Amino acid sequence: MNTVLEIDSLKKYYGKPGNQTKALNGISFQVMEGEFLGIMGSSGSGKTTLLNCIATVIQPGGGRIVMRGTQIHSLKGKKLAQYRGKEIGYLFQNFELIDNLTGRENIMLPMSLHNVPDQEGKNRLSRLAAYLEITDVLDKFPSQMSGGQKQRVAAARALIMDPGIILADEPTGALDTKNAKTLMKKLAGLNEEENATILMVTHDSNAASYCKRILFIQDGQIFHELRRDIPDETRPDFYERILKVMSQLGGGSANVL
Amino acid sequence: MFFELIARNSKRSRKENGLFFTTLLVSVIAFYIILSLSRQDVMFFLQEMESDAVNRLLTMIPVFYVMTLVVLFFLIYFASKFQLERRRHEFGMYLMMGMTRNRLFALLLAEDMRSSVIALLIGLPSGVLLSELISLVTARLVGLGIIGHRFSLSVQAILLTAAGFFLIKLAAFLILSAKISRQEIGSLLAERPEETKRQHPAFVYGLALLAGLLCLGTAYYLAIRGISWSQIRMMGITVLLGFAGTLLFFYGLRYIFNLIIKTGKRDRRLHIFNVRQLQENVVRQSGTMAVSSLLILGALCCFGAGVAIAAHYGQSGEHVLDYTFIPEYTDEPNQEQAAVDVFDTLREYGLDTEFSDLFEMKIGDIRTADDFENSYSMDDVLDQAAGFPASDDRDILLNNLGFADFPSLISLSGYNELLRTAGLPEVELGKNEGAVYMDSSFLNDNRAEIMNTILAEQPEVKIAGDPLRLTGKVQTTPVVTDYSITLSFALILPDDAFQYYTQDQYDVYVNGVLDSSASEQSGLMQAISGMNERLNETGLAYESDLQNMGRQLFYIVAASYITIYLAIIFLIVANTVIGVQFLMNQQKTNRRYKILVRLGAMYETLCRSAKKQINWYFGLPVFAAAVSSLFAVRALFSGILSPMTQGTEGEMLVVSAAMILVLCVIECIYMTAVKRSSRKYLLTLMAPEREE
Repeated sequence: MNTVLEIDSLKKYYGKPGNQTKALNGISFQVMEGEFLGIMGSSGSGKTTLLNCIATVIQPGGGRIVMRGTQIHSLKGKKLAQYRGKEIGYLFQNFELIDNLTGRENIMLPMSLHNVPDQEGKNRLSRLAAYLEITDVLDKFPSQMSGGQKQRVAAARALIMDPGIILADEPTGALDTKNAKTLMKKLAGLNEEENATILMVTHDSNAASYCKRILFIQDGQIFHELRRDIPDETRPDFYERILKVMSQLGGGSANVL
Repeated sequence: MFFELIARNSKRSRKENGLFFTTLLVSVIAFYIILSLSRQDVMFFLQEMESDAVNRLLTMIPVFYVMTLVVLFFLIYFASKFQLERRRHEFGMYLMMGMTRNRLFALLLAEDMRSSVIALLIGLPSGVLLSELISLVTARLVGLGIIGHRFSLSVQAILLTAAGFFLIKLAAFLILSAKISRQEIGSLLAERPEETKRQHPAFVYGLALLAGLLCLGTAYYLAIRGISWSQIRMMGITVLLGFAGTLLFFYGLRYIFNLIIKTGKRDRRLHIFNVRQLQENVVRQSGTMAVSSLLILGALCCFGAGVAIAAHYGQSGEHVLDYTFIPEYTDEPNQEQAAVDVFDTLREYGLDTEFSDLFEMKIGDIRTADDFENSYSMDDVLDQAAGFPASDDRDILLNNLGFADFPSLISLSGYNELLRTAGLPEVELGKNEGAVYMDSSFLNDNRAEIMNTILAEQPEVKIAGDPLRLTGKVQTTPVVTDYSITLSFALILPDDAFQYYTQDQYDVYVNGVLDSSASEQSGLMQAISGMNERLNETGLAYESDLQNMGRQLFYIVAASYITIYLAIIFLIVANTVIGVQFLMNQQKTNRRYKILVRLGAMYETLCRSAKKQINWYFGLPVFAAAVSSLFAVRALFSGILSPMTQGTEGEMLVVSAAMILVLCVIECIYMTAVKRSSRKYLLTLMAPEREE
């Protein structure tokens, strides 16, 4: 299996020495091709900072991020834009659909942004739309869609450029349980059938149970790692294991004041 | 602390909304300039000779002042509204932290006052300076000389400017802050809920667009056919149709946007995003866009009208005579003796030497025929004229000639004297020959051409039953100085014939030309002005060219001042509204740009997208206004200008080109400013921020 993404002792500190927040404190891990990796941690543990570093939205303070052999912080200008557009697909907690574009236009937006010929995208769009069950909302505006539909449209947008990796930031955070379940099933299905590589940040144990592997982060460092034993371990069993680790997070009951 | 907050907030507002602030500055300057019009050198000068007209103009200034106040109120209300909307969250925070509503109100009022005072502090001195400069330049241009210039500060204008400015600022502020302070803290703090877009079926917009185009088309037709000028009611209908048409057109414009998206060019470089952004702006603000477009149209019309009026009255025809003395009327059959008296009086006062030329011009009527009404006929001429290819000019000429059945007569000797003075070839007439005189205001190039072709054939006419052969070219050199005395058709006859047909009953005018040495020293206007003072002591009745020059000057000054003033106000208001609207919408929809950044858009891509949107956003109303102005200005020209000045298409083209050039320059300035602000703003969006 190839390594898609390699994070090597990544650091990001906020504030001045003396009063410093270590959002990422020398974190290292790898994401393999076709992996569905979950990253869990409490609020402020550095999950979003990690994702933003990978998405090149912020510059890390130290360490390396290597995407398919290229060190991404050496990228500039057009190459950087290409990286953002083609190598990563971003799925946001609150969908981030543009409200005056229809579903179809939203999904095609990355193609328009990166000047990709239409035809390629159109075929892919119809396949994705059928799989994500959003064909009938393609010509609607976000305000006319349900939350679940919005997030699936957003998922289609993240996938339209066939990125090397999908970064999902709390994708179920704004969804009810039913819609969250549908979305996770679809994501897991994409991972299984299309061999899509997904890196998902969440603190929803339920959503995390769809992952193959989970990293737990605390204070900017990896605190624990869980691997689902496929095919022996069922999802409910994995869920139980996740809950156990979650209760340990932050020092467990020993840390209760 | 409170005052520091005021200072900081008002500074921030000015910085964030530089465009708006600049417009306020310009409007302060414009206010002062128009209000201090009476203090201009040219106006002082004109007040002496054209006091009626000047006073009428000056009484009209308050009307313009109030009108500008209303237009500016529209701008200020609108821009302030956006400014306050943007700070809703901030106001919510102040209230949450325990600031009373009264104190918030005081804070906002103080901020507003602060920026108003700053605008006045910068604007008024600039206005005073600029108005002085304009005064000097116009004085120089019209040959008044600038030696007599004195610095004039119009306290009244300053007070009125400040008062008017504060008044509209305060009015807009009170309305807006009343709206804001009535809202609950919660709704202030919350992100503004997206306005629900009520969509009608597509055909409604299609119909609106169609109706708008129809209205506009009808208005164009009425305007260009001259039907609008026939009655006030028709003019009202035309204006109303144009107004409604523009509103409907912008309302229906979303239909076209839908079409553009549906027929879908390839979506590259955010094409669809741009169209959707534009569509949203146009849909949400079709009313303001239409009004802006109409304001631009107003500016273009003002400009056009100004040029037309200036061209009409500013025509400095052929200047030959400086003075015409009108002898005192006596009971004698002719006024020869009275004319001699004029010469004597001039000699008596030692003024005759001031003239390089003094001669008599005799004008009389046909008195040999019993039937005054039909003492003259020229069927040949009329027949020949009718034979020319049909044109408006031919018809007008025919009409004028048709009424010439009792023409005035001019004696040849006087007229030749005039031609000699003017340095023109003299008219030579044999027995039973006559020449045609027509005032230049009844002729243009085409008509003169027709007349000369006919006269070249030496047609025979009948004067009091006797045959007369017309010869030579049509004469147009004015016979007296007073431009308001015009002869649409007169005959120049040899002196014998003149004496015979007038039966020795005629008027005599004494024409004079000033010695050129006097006018070379101090300029013709000053020379005539000085001469007038001396002539007033003699008790002679006279007309001097000064009146004509003054009248022309007055119309030029009045027309250019008022129209340029209005045009500038309209233009800056319209452009500021469009610009501020765009920037505010961009800030309102900043989330979309942030999403684009997250999706990997580069700064340059966003700037390009914004640039395109700005081009179209400005382009649409400007284009609509430009198209309408083509018709409106033409209609204005035909309505205001006399047939003589309606001139050739070439002149029209020059005027239009100049107008379009000015418009383009101003639009470019505004668009560049807006693009710069937009780039600055987009840059702030590029920085990531933590969102929870």
